[in-house]
Amino acid sequence: MKRDPTGFLKKEYKELVEKDLDWKLRVLETGSTPHAVVDGKEVIMLCSNNYLNLSNHPKLIQGAIEATKKYGAGSGSVRAIAGTMKLHVEVEKRLAKFKRREAALVYQTGFAANAGIIPQLAGKGDIIISDELNHGSIIDGVRLTKADRAIYKHRDMGELENILRDADKKYNRILIVTDGVFSMDGDIAPMDEIVKLAAEYGAMTYVDDAHGEGVIGEDGRGIGSHFGIEGKIDVEMGTFSKAYGVVGGLIAGSQDLINFAYNKSRTWLLSGSHPPAVAGAQLAAIEVLETEPQHVKKLWDNTKYFKKELESMGFDIGESETPITPVIVGESSKAKELSNRLFDEGVFALPIVYPMVARDKARIRTMMNAGLTREDLDFALEKFEKLGRQLNII
Amino acid sequence: MGSKIGFIVNPIAGMGGRVGLKGTDGVVERAIKLGAKPVAPRKAEEMLREFISHYGGGDKIDWYTCKGKMGEDELKKIGVKEIEIVYQPSTENTTSDDTKKACKRFLKRDVDLILFCGGDGTARDIFSIVGKRIPILGIPSGVKMHSGVFGINVRATAKILHDFINQGLTIGDVEIMDLDEKLYRQGKWRIKLFGVAKGIIEPTYVQVGKTSFESVSEDEIREELSEHILDEMEQNKDCLFLMGSGGTIDYIAKKIGLENTLLGIDAVYNKKTIGKDLNEEKILQLLDKYKKTKIVLSPIGAQGFILGRGNLQLSAKVIRKIGIDNIIVVATPSKLAATPFIRVDTGDPDLDRIFAEKEFIMVVIGYRLRRIVRTQTNKF
Repeated sequence: MKRDPTGFLKKEYKELVEKDLDWKLRVLETGSTPHAVVDGKEVIMLCSNNYLNLSNHPKLIQGAIEATKKYGAGSGSVRAIAGTMKLHVEVEKRLAKFKRREAALVYQTGFAANAGIIPQLAGKGDIIISDELNHGSIIDGVRLTKADRAIYKHRDMGELENILRDADKKYNRILIVTDGVFSMDGDIAPMDEIVKLAAEYGAMTYVDDAHGEGVIGEDGRGIGSHFGIEGKIDVEMGTFSKAYGVVGGLIAGSQDLINFAYNKSRTWLLSGSHPPAVAGAQLAAIEVLETEPQHVKKLWDNTKYFKKELESMGFDIGESETPITPVIVGESSKAKELSNRLFDEGVFALPIVYPMVARDKARIRTMMNAGLTREDLDFALEKFEKLGRQLNII
Repeated sequence: MGSKIGFIVNPIAGMGGRVGLKGTDGVVERAIKLGAKPVAPRKAEEMLREFISHYGGGDKIDWYTCKGKMGEDELKKIGVKEIEIVYQPSTENTTSDDTKKACKRFLKRDVDLILFCGGDGTARDIFSIVGKRIPILGIPSGVKMHSGVFGINVRATAKILHDFINQGLTIGDVEIMDLDEKLYRQGKWRIKLFGVAKGIIEPTYVQVGKTSFESVSEDEIREELSEHILDEMEQNKDCLFLMGSGGTIDYIAKKIGLENTLLGIDAVYNKKTIGKDLNEEKILQLLDKYKKTKIVLSPIGAQGFILGRGNLQLSAKVIRKIGIDNIIVVATPSKLAATPFIRVDTGDPDLDRIFAEKEFIMVVIGYRLRRIVRTQTNKF
């Protein structure tokens, strides 16, 4: 039989469209700014990860331009061969200092960090213990290993301890992996307890702090600082693409970890290194975090105000402890409708529906931004209140 | 076009409960004499009312049912007008034969789902006719409800029906369990596995993008479980494997290329079946011969029994000899979601206690992937 070699492309795409599971890409005509133009409409941006609005910070822009002028548009190679520039090394040094760790390593993306290092940390005869709500990139990293896997109920330390007790006798290495800030609910992993349990059983700890870096802890130093356990998490993984306002993944920890990681991570070894512009902007981002604490403060002021007002209107905003604020509305169709109508009224926030969250817990997920003014927030809040009443949510 | 639902009420189901009988199979008159009142018609009506009031949804359904109290009355009471009567019982006192005949009619009408109100006996009657051809959903109202086809309560059943019609819940294997009459007549109350039917289950999802998920079919997950067990067999070449009963284990065994007894215990060594449908005695003989043994079991129904329901061959003596740490429990995540505890009922209180005191058991839910589930004694 002569087969149709590419027929599945159209067929599977069509299936996604029919089930309404395809991505309908929204196009930004501006930068990722607090007031952005999306698909031709000016909106208040409540769904970017650009928490501190650093992507628009003059120093970052300047850093990118200067690095480009000086070193060119591309890096020419992978890091391991001829693509490690002084600038890349400088970023890693400054990052380690900021995170108060011995050393740091920058990956091409956050995904590349998780998919690159996790499979090297555990193999046959080892076990990886994972929170049930961990991010997809962790899950993919875990899938690449030959280690056994066990899942514990979200933030359930009792289950984690029981698994550790069971695993203690059976496995060589034990690795506990968790998100720091969970991106759907905005809650935080009890990292202090995880570190304590891990110490008891001789387990390694790994946190994906993508939504915590630049947001929680002293001046945005992340989850270690947040819990007062700096230096005690074996692998602090994060990203430059969220609060830092650029792009790139990172890990921070001991010099041993970094030596091991860059020799073994296939994603790191086999992708081209960041262009000078990226490294220049990363360097500037760290400098801004170190010298301009007002951005983190503004982010939290905005967050507190926004949460307080939503709550007083009668919205259910879940258990978030971070600038991720879910507005829980119930049925999936209602969340989709609220999101569409908010967009029409000039507020951009995405619905999160089943199966990402329980069937009756569909929501609008909002992410705060330090670049939004009080007037902006009042504008968005007014729309939430108006539509919330119209849709019988409040 | 709407969903075609075959609706059937076993009007005498549940009558034995209050008067201390284990079901009404064959003892209706005695139950009535003892003062039993009909339960099923009320439960059926309650569930339909819940369904209509919460979800509207009635207009999306083409109802097929039986005359009078076998379904028609309940539908009419809640105001459904368009009903097609497919069967009329010949006498006032309906029997299991009426259930079976009605199911034959449902098959002819090609219904999408059979919604019934009754207990394990009713489920078994329906299963005996439709097998795996049509999914079955039970409104719980019998005395015995060990089968996996039932919603937890009336409300949950209404929600499952709604989700099935609107959101396309997946169809998966569920066990049909009932009292073992042979043992019952000898004075022993034991539940037996009668077969594997199609039921409605929550699909399992995997994340495919930051905020997008795709549902994975039960078969894909059972394939992962098969790979896991195959790995176990390859890594433990000197080990005897006992394969338990039920749909999940049957799938795994067949995927590995073994012959398998759906409702019995088989023995496997070196990836070859060396004993089929074994009784306790034969298992004990094998255990004398082989030094190391592992048993692969899957919880039966939402009650989570891995021992004592449908596999009495795996007696306390057998389990003690193998050791409870050599039990490998497998389950698909969707099934596990409906199974809060893993239980055993070995008939040996000490062994049951040892199991319960473990507090938890690691259940294999995917390839090399485990989840922790609490254990509980059989008292509930």
